[in-house]
Amino acid sequence: MFEISDLITKILALIRYSTRKILFKKRIIIAFLILFTVIAVMGYAGAQDTDRLTTGSDLLGVLAVWFFMPVISMIYGCSVIRDEIDDKSITQIITSPINRIFAYFSYYISLAISLCLINFVITSLGFISFFAQKGIDGEAINIYTTFIGLVILGVFVYSALFLLISVVFKRPIYFGLFFVFIWEGFIGTIPGSIQKFSINFYLRSIGSKQLEYITLNQATDVNISLIILFGSIILLLIFGSLLFKTKEFA
Amino acid sequence: MNDIRIKTVDLSKWYGKIIGLNAFKLEISSGITGLVGPNGSGKSTFFKLAIGCLKPKTGKILILGKNPWMNQKLMSDIGFCPDYDNLSDETTGREFLELVGGLHGLKKISLRNRINEVSEIVGMKKELYRKIGGYSKGMRQRIKIAGSIIHNPKLLLLDEPLSGADPNVRKSLINLIKYLNEDLGHDIVVSSHVLYEIERMTSKIALIYKGRAIASGEISDIRNLIDEHPHNIIIVGSKIEELAKKLLEKKYTISVGFIDDRKKIKVQVSKPDEFFDNIAELIKELNCKIEQMYSLDDNLEAVFNYLVER
Repeated sequence: MFEISDLITKILALIRYSTRKILFKKRIIIAFLILFTVIAVMGYAGAQDTDRLTTGSDLLGVLAVWFFMPVISMIYGCSVIRDEIDDKSITQIITSPINRIFAYFSYYISLAISLCLINFVITSLGFISFFAQKGIDGEAINIYTTFIGLVILGVFVYSALFLLISVVFKRPIYFGLFFVFIWEGFIGTIPGSIQKFSINFYLRSIGSKQLEYITLNQATDVNISLIILFGSIILLLIFGSLLFKTKEFA
Repeated sequence: MNDIRIKTVDLSKWYGKIIGLNAFKLEISSGITGLVGPNGSGKSTFFKLAIGCLKPKTGKILILGKNPWMNQKLMSDIGFCPDYDNLSDETTGREFLELVGGLHGLKKISLRNRINEVSEIVGMKKELYRKIGGYSKGMRQRIKIAGSIIHNPKLLLLDEPLSGADPNVRKSLINLIKYLNEDLGHDIVVSSHVLYEIERMTSKIALIYKGRAIASGEISDIRNLIDEHPHNIIIVGSKIEELAKKLLEKKYTISVGFIDDRKKIKVQVSKPDEFFDNIAELIKELNCKIEQMYSLDDNLEAVFNYLVER
């Protein structure tokens, strides 16, 4: 009993510290720039004579979910552990009596919480800046809740992936850029079954079943998509934590 | 009672073609032990192996009788202060100590009390709410030491804690390290590349050079070893030619050479103690005016080379 309470204290200390570091570091400016871009684009589109539900969901999907969410996840996910390895502040964690597997999970939780918060604000304000002009009704709320759900799910998957990448590579940002812009952004949208190897595809599959405004050929069943995404999170976390446990820090 | 705190047996670690430690054998007992070696000699590699950041290639290292690699429980008994700056500029001293204390399982009131205690010990109580980015070099060293003792470890590993600090800060850090051992009972291993700094903290030292422990024991024994080999001494002043002639007559003088337009002489002596006992008398006798006199062999590199070649 004492050991569990002791472990929780250690995990919470790391989560608190790491979350504070993510949210209050200068890098948060990038999140603000993205927020202003989304608000500006959606606010401008909201002022135009467009179809409310189709345009609104398309824009919110492209801006908040399919593009900026993976980009923000990549920027933060690739740096949260790697920055500490590079500036050697990781020494505090390595020389503490906390099992490295739990330390890795603590980093993951703090990353996911921070990214959920950032993406929640971006999606919410993007939604308001468009739909406040066009009218917010039950259908609009359905679009909002669906995208919020997709953003949160996506954040948990991308966080697990980029955290692993940051432990594997010395320059994880290069892999991150390739993955977000080429793999997810391009391969994930081309016709054929290759797109099934992208995270984007399963998020879109879930979205297309929830909202009739998102169209996707070959969409996979929602349950299968959820199993694949949650399975990916678990596998990525297990692999990442084992690598972190056995990693040397010179 | 077995008071061995650290034991290494044929410990080796290399990074690609670069050797960090090579068949390193050393036993460190309780008290303060100085680990002395020039830069790049393997001191930091030794510490990284001791705290489980690195895995030995061959041989073994035991800290308090246990293998540190992937042994996080052992970290409750070890405090480590690295030679590099591992502090985040954007956090305050208190936030840093809250993290370290929290990672050691300290919570709420006990954490708060302990932060107050250790900040008092290292003389940083008033600076706790300032961002670390605004700390001086000495303050950063102090807050790192506070972090390394917050969980009251049995063994404290301090890697070059005096490096980069000004003379006043060095003096106060030396006093702090002695206090941590003498009054608070921590066993301490402290590294430096400056022998005289270690001498002010402890009489027990281990010399490390090119990845090997080349000598260990009481500092006086090491000093004797050092004193046994020829010393090079530079003397700067007027009437130096006369002094050179007189020195050549002495049995302990091996050679005398002029440098820099006969303003300086370099004297090589076999018995430095006799030289230093007699030189004052010679200077007085010849009425020389000496501006400077220093021993080239205080340079540790020369001493280490000598010990390795013996």
